[in-house]
Amino acid sequence: MTAENGTAKGQAAPTVRARSLAWRRRRDSAARFWRQYRGHRAGVFGLAALLLFAVPALAAPLLVGSDVADVTDAPGGPLEDPSARFPFGTDRFGRNLLGLVIWGARVSLLVGLLAAVLSVAIGTLIGVTAGHFKGWYATVVMRITDWFLVMPTLVLAIALATVMPRSLLTIVVAIGVTTWPTTARLVRAQTLAVETRPYIERARALGGGHRHIMARHVLPNVMPLVLAQTTLIISSAILAEATLAFLGLGDPTVVSWGALLQDAREAGAVSSGHWWYLVPPGVAIAVVALAFTLCGRAVEQVLNPRLGVSR
Amino acid sequence: MTADAASAPVEKQGAAGPVTDGPAAPRGPRVRTTAAYLRYVAGKLAGAAVSLLAVLVTSFFLFRLIPGDPVRFMTGGRQVSAEQLANYREQFGLDLPWWQQFTDYCGKALTGDLGTSYQFNAPVIDKIAEALPNTLLLTGTAFVIYTLLGVFLGTRSAWRHGRLGDRLHTGLALTLYSVPSFWLGLLLIVTLAVGIGPLPGLFPTGGMESGGEEGFAYVLDVAHHLVLPVVTLVAVEYGQTLLVTRSALLDEMGSDYLTTARAKGLRDDLVRRRHAVPNALLPTVTLIFINLGRTVAGVILVETVLSWPGLGGLFYQALSVPDLPLVQGLFFVFAAAVIVMNTLADLIYPLLDPRVGR
Amino acid sequence: MDTNDQYGGHHRTPTRARGGGARLVVAAGAAALALGAGLATPLGPASQQAHAADGDGKVLTVAVAQSVDSLSPFLAVRLLSTSIHRLTYEYLTNYDAEDNSVVPGFATEWKSSPDKLTWTYTIRSDSTWSDGEQATAEDAAWTFNTMMTDPGAATANGSFVSNFETVTAPSPTRLVIKLKKPQATMTALDVPIVPRHVWEKVDDFTKFNNDKDFPVVGNGPFVLTDYKPDSYVRLKANKDFWRGAPKFDELVFRYYKDQDAAVSALRKGEVSFVAGSPSLTPAQAASLKGEKNIRVNDAPGRRFYALATNPGARAKNGETMGDGHPSLLDQRVRNALFKAVDRKAIIDKVFQGHAVEGAGYVPPRFAQYFWKPSPGQELTYDPEEAGRMLDQAGLRKNADGRRVGKDGKPITYRVLCHATDPNDKAIGQYLQEWWDELGIGVTLNCLDNVTDPWLAGEYDLAFDGWSVNPDPDFVLSIHTCAALPATPEETGATDNFICDRTYDELYARQLAEYDPDKRAAIVRQMESRLYDLGYMNVMAYPNAVEAYRTDQIESITTMPAKAGNIYGQDGYWSWWSAVPADSGDASGGSSSTGVVVGIVAGVVVLAGVGAFLAVRRRATADERE
Repeated sequence: MTAENGTAKGQAAPTVRARSLAWRRRRDSAARFWRQYRGHRAGVFGLAALLLFAVPALAAPLLVGSDVADVTDAPGGPLEDPSARFPFGTDRFGRNLLGLVIWGARVSLLVGLLAAVLSVAIGTLIGVTAGHFKGWYATVVMRITDWFLVMPTLVLAIALATVMPRSLLTIVVAIGVTTWPTTARLVRAQTLAVETRPYIERARALGGGHRHIMARHVLPNVMPLVLAQTTLIISSAILAEATLAFLGLGDPTVVSWGALLQDAREAGAVSSGHWWYLVPPGVAIAVVALAFTLCGRAVEQVLNPRLGVSR
Repeated sequence: MTADAASAPVEKQGAAGPVTDGPAAPRGPRVRTTAAYLRYVAGKLAGAAVSLLAVLVTSFFLFRLIPGDPVRFMTGGRQVSAEQLANYREQFGLDLPWWQQFTDYCGKALTGDLGTSYQFNAPVIDKIAEALPNTLLLTGTAFVIYTLLGVFLGTRSAWRHGRLGDRLHTGLALTLYSVPSFWLGLLLIVTLAVGIGPLPGLFPTGGMESGGEEGFAYVLDVAHHLVLPVVTLVAVEYGQTLLVTRSALLDEMGSDYLTTARAKGLRDDLVRRRHAVPNALLPTVTLIFINLGRTVAGVILVETVLSWPGLGGLFYQALSVPDLPLVQGLFFVFAAAVIVMNTLADLIYPLLDPRVGR
Repeated sequence: MDTNDQYGGHHRTPTRARGGGARLVVAAGAAALALGAGLATPLGPASQQAHAADGDGKVLTVAVAQSVDSLSPFLAVRLLSTSIHRLTYEYLTNYDAEDNSVVPGFATEWKSSPDKLTWTYTIRSDSTWSDGEQATAEDAAWTFNTMMTDPGAATANGSFVSNFETVTAPSPTRLVIKLKKPQATMTALDVPIVPRHVWEKVDDFTKFNNDKDFPVVGNGPFVLTDYKPDSYVRLKANKDFWRGAPKFDELVFRYYKDQDAAVSALRKGEVSFVAGSPSLTPAQAASLKGEKNIRVNDAPGRRFYALATNPGARAKNGETMGDGHPSLLDQRVRNALFKAVDRKAIIDKVFQGHAVEGAGYVPPRFAQYFWKPSPGQELTYDPEEAGRMLDQAGLRKNADGRRVGKDGKPITYRVLCHATDPNDKAIGQYLQEWWDELGIGVTLNCLDNVTDPWLAGEYDLAFDGWSVNPDPDFVLSIHTCAALPATPEETGATDNFICDRTYDELYARQLAEYDPDKRAAIVRQMESRLYDLGYMNVMAYPNAVEAYRTDQIESITTMPAKAGNIYGQDGYWSWWSAVPADSGDASGGSSSTGVVVGIVAGVVVLAGVGAFLAVRRRATADERE
C-alpha cells in the first residue's frame, strides 16, 4: 500500500509520460508482489494446486469432450469399479467419473469465480461509497450491511435458491448476494484510511469530483485488499455451491462437483460401498477450496506485512 | 459510526465467508466508568432490539417471495371448492392485504405467537421448542470442544510460529476448514458408524437416541449418538478459532510491552500466559460468540446427513413445502441467535479489556 | 504432527504446570457441565414414562424417511402417518394380504339395499379399545358424522363421506350408511374409526394432533405409546387384538433423513427393516443382496410412473388456464413424443431392472384391472417413426434442425420434475437427449414442490405417478371432467386436467357396476382410452425395493402374498405377522453393546487427547527457559 506515495510528484509532467510512468510503476509493483509471493510456500502450493485443476478444466473440451456428460451413450455400465478404462469408475448412468470430475471443475470453478466477483463487486461498491460519502448515506448503508452480516448466510442462500428457478445463475446470485457484507466492511475501513491521505485532499482541491476520487484514487488503493478478499471468497463460494447442489437446489442437468456428490448420494453410493463415486468430487472441492484460501492468505500477507509475522 | 464495534470481519458458517486471520476483531470502545459502561450497554441493547425487529420484517417479506400458494399445497390433490379455499385462507389470515398480514404477524410475534405450521398443524413455536434443545445440545457441545481446541492449538501455533508444528496445525486446520461438512459426515458414517475393514462400527448411523432408554442409560445413549455429528462440526469449525487466536497472538507478540517484559527477564511462558494470551484472547472472544450464533444456523447440513432432530432439518423440511410460518419462525431464530451472541460479545468485551484497569 | 523430536533435548527447566493444569480442569468441567445441561433438556417426560411397563420384549425397528405430519386420523395424509393409523385403529374393511380382495375389518359383513343407496354393516363385538371400553358401531357412526359435519375433521378423508346422506348406528353392532347416489367403493372406506368417548372431548380438530396423551387409545394390532418428532414413533403390541396378538412386542419407526444412513443402519443391525423412499436404489439393493443376514425384497410395486402431457388446462366453466404448449393438443404429437421414449432403456439403465415396463394405467400387480395395449395399438419405441409423425403433424425442422411450432418458433418443452425424486432427474436427462434427436428442446423444471405450476397448468409435460389402491376408483376419478376445478381459481381433484367424454361415460358406468368382473372390464376399457389419448404415458411400474435383517425378522407377510411389498401395505399384515428370529433381540442388545463399545472408545479417545495434551504441555514447558 505504499505504491502511491510518488503520485503527487508526477503531476506537472506531461500526461503521456505520467501514464507510462504509472504503467512502469505498476509493472514494478507486480514484479515485487510476485517476488514476495514466491516466498510464501503455502501460497505457492495453493497456486500450483489451482493450476493443476484449472488447466484440465480449461482444456476439458479437448481432454474429455463435451459428450462426457451424455447419458444416452454412456460408455460403461452403471457404477462400475475403478479400472484402467475408468480410473475413477463410472457413475449411475455409466459415465466416466474421471471425465465428469474434470468437466465438473469447469462449473464449480466458474460458479465460484462469478459468485466471488459478484460478492466482492457489491462489497466494494458499498464499501467505497460508504467510506467516501460519510453522513447519512454511510449510516444507512452500513446499517444495512450490519444487518446482512447477522443474517445466517447459509440459511439466506438456501432461501434465495429456493425462491429462484434452479440454474447456475441462481446459485451465483444466492452466494454473491449473501456474502458481500464482510468485503463491504473491510473496504470501507480501508477507504476511510485512504481518504485521510494528503493527496486525496489535493485531488479534491484541484476540483476532482466524487467519481474521480473514488475511481482514480480510492479504488486503486483498495484493489489489493479486494484481490485478497476475492480469492478467499472464491474458496467459500465453491463450498457454498457444493452445499446448495448437495441440498438439491442446483440445476440437475449441469455437472458440477456438488451435483456429482448429490448424484452419489441419490444413487445410494455411500451405503453401497461405491466410495469412488463420493471421494473424488469431495476431495476436489476440498483441495480447490484450500488452494484458494492459501493463495488468499499469501496475497494478504504480502500486501499487509504486519500480518506476515508467520513467515 | 457505532457499526464498527459490531462484529469481526470473520465469518464462516456452513460454507459462506472466508477465513481471514486479518486484523481480528475491531476493538470495542474503551469504557472507563460504570456509568459509561451502563450507557454503552443500553446502546448495544437498543441496537440489538432494532436488529431483531429488522429480522422480523425480513423474514416476513423474504419468504413471501417463495413461489407457491400454501393453501394449494395444503389442499393438493383434493377437490376443494372456492369456499373451502376461502375458509383456509381466512383461517391462516391469507385473505388479508399484505400490510395487515404483516402487522398481525408482528403483533403476534411480539407475544410469542409465530403462527401455525401448515404441514404439522401445530404452533410454530411448539415445533421450534421441540427441536431447539436438540440443536443446542449438538451445537453447544461442538462449540465448547472446538473453541477449547482452537484456542489451545492457536496459542501454541502462534508461540512457535513458523516451525513444523505450527505449519502442520495451521495446514490441518485450513484443510479441514475446506472440507464440505456434509461430505465429511457421509465419510464418517461409512467409516466410524458402519465400520470399515477390521474396524467395527462404533457409533450410531444417525438420530439422537435409540428410544426406550431411561435415566443414565438414556444420557449415555444420547452421548453416543452425539459423537459423530459433534466430530463433524468440530472438524470443520475449529480451524477458524485456531487461525484467529493464532494471528491475534502474533499481533500481540509484536507489541512493545512484551519485548519490554522479556527484556526485564521474565520467563517466556510467564510472559505468554500473563500478558500475551489474555490480551490476544480479547478479539477471539468476539469471534467465539459470533461463531456460536452462526453454528446454530450452520448445522443444517450436519443435521440432515446425520438425522439429528434439530432446527436445521426442520428448516429444510419447512422450506420445501413451503411452510411459511415455520420457515419465518426458524429464520428468525437463526438470525436472533447471531444477534444475541453478537450483543453478548459486545457487552462482555469492555469487561475483559485489561486496559480498562481492574 | 508432534514436534517433540524436533525440539527434544532443550534445557530442562522443571516448571509447575499449575496455571495450565488448573485451566484444563476448569475447561473440562465447563465442557462436562454444558454437556450435562444439554443432555438434561431433551429428556421429555413422555419418553420416561412410556417404557416403564415394558419388559425385555422383541422390538422390530423400521427405518423411515418421512416425518409424521399429524397423528390425528382426521388430519394425517402422509404415508407414514396413515400406516400408523392402520396399525392403531380398525377400518370397516381390510384387504386380504393374499390377493387384495376385501376382507372383514371392524365390520364382519356388509350388504347393500336393492336401490344401491343403503349400506348396512355388521360391526364385530370382539374388538375393545385399549382402555378397556367396547368398540361399537356407535364409534364408527360418530367418526363418519364428525367428518360430515365438521370441515376441520374432513381435512384428510373428507372425500370418502362427501356422497353420504346419513350415517346411523341402530345398535352397537349395526352401522347404516345412506348414500346420495350409488358408490361402488363402499367396501373400500379407508377411514380409521376412532373411539368416540376419547375424541368427543376434542373441540378443534384442525389443532388436535393426538400426540400428547400416551398411550393413544386404539383398537388395532398395535397401540401407539410414544412419539418424538423426527426421532421415532413407538408402538406396543395389542395383546387383545381380535385377530391375534402380533409376534413382536414392540414396533419402532425410527427416523433417518438420509437414505444412506438408513441403509447403513440396516447393515449394522440398528434397524430391522428399510423401505427407502420411495425404494432402495439399485446400487443399495445390489450391495445388500450379497450381505449375510439381509434379505432384499424386490416386489412389483403398486405405483405407476408416467409422463403426463398438459392437455390445455382448463376449468369446468370452460376458462382455460396455464400455458401448455399448443402443439401438444395434437394427439399425433403426444404419441410421437412417447414413441421416442425408450422405456426399455429406462428400466435397464435408470431402474436397473427394479421396475416393469409401462403399459396400461393400472400396474400388473392388480391383475384383474391390468390392461395391456394390443400389438397394433402399442406405441413402440421408434424414433424415426416418431420423427415422421411429427412431420405429419406439421412440426417441421428448420434450417438448424430444430422443429418449429405453428408460431414459427423452435419448440422447447418444459418438463416439470420433482427435485426430490432422483428418477425424475435421471429420466429427464434421457428425455433431453432423446428428444434432442427429434429436434425438440427440453427444459427440466425441477422443484421441491411442484404443486403450484401443476395446479396452475403451467407446464408442458410432467413426471407423474400415483400409488394405486386395490380399488382403482380414486386414480381413475382424477382424470374425469368432474374432477376439473370449477373455476381457474379453485382446486380440483384432477391430476392432469384431462377431460374426455368417452372416458367419463365409462367412469360413470364402472362406478355404478356392482359386479366385480363386469366392472373390471369397463376399467380396462378406460385404460385403453387413456392410452390412446396420450395424456398419461406410463413409462414404468417401479418395484418396491426393501430390505430386512433375517437375523431379526424370521418371516414377514408381503402383500400380495406372492411377490408383494412390506412397507406401505393396504393393511397391517406385514408388521402384525412379522415373526422375530430366534437370535434376534432386534435392537436392544446390539445397541447397548454399541453403547458400551462407543463409551469405551470415547473414553480412550478422551484419555488419548488428554495424554497428548499433557505431553505437549510438558514438552513446551521444557523447551522454554
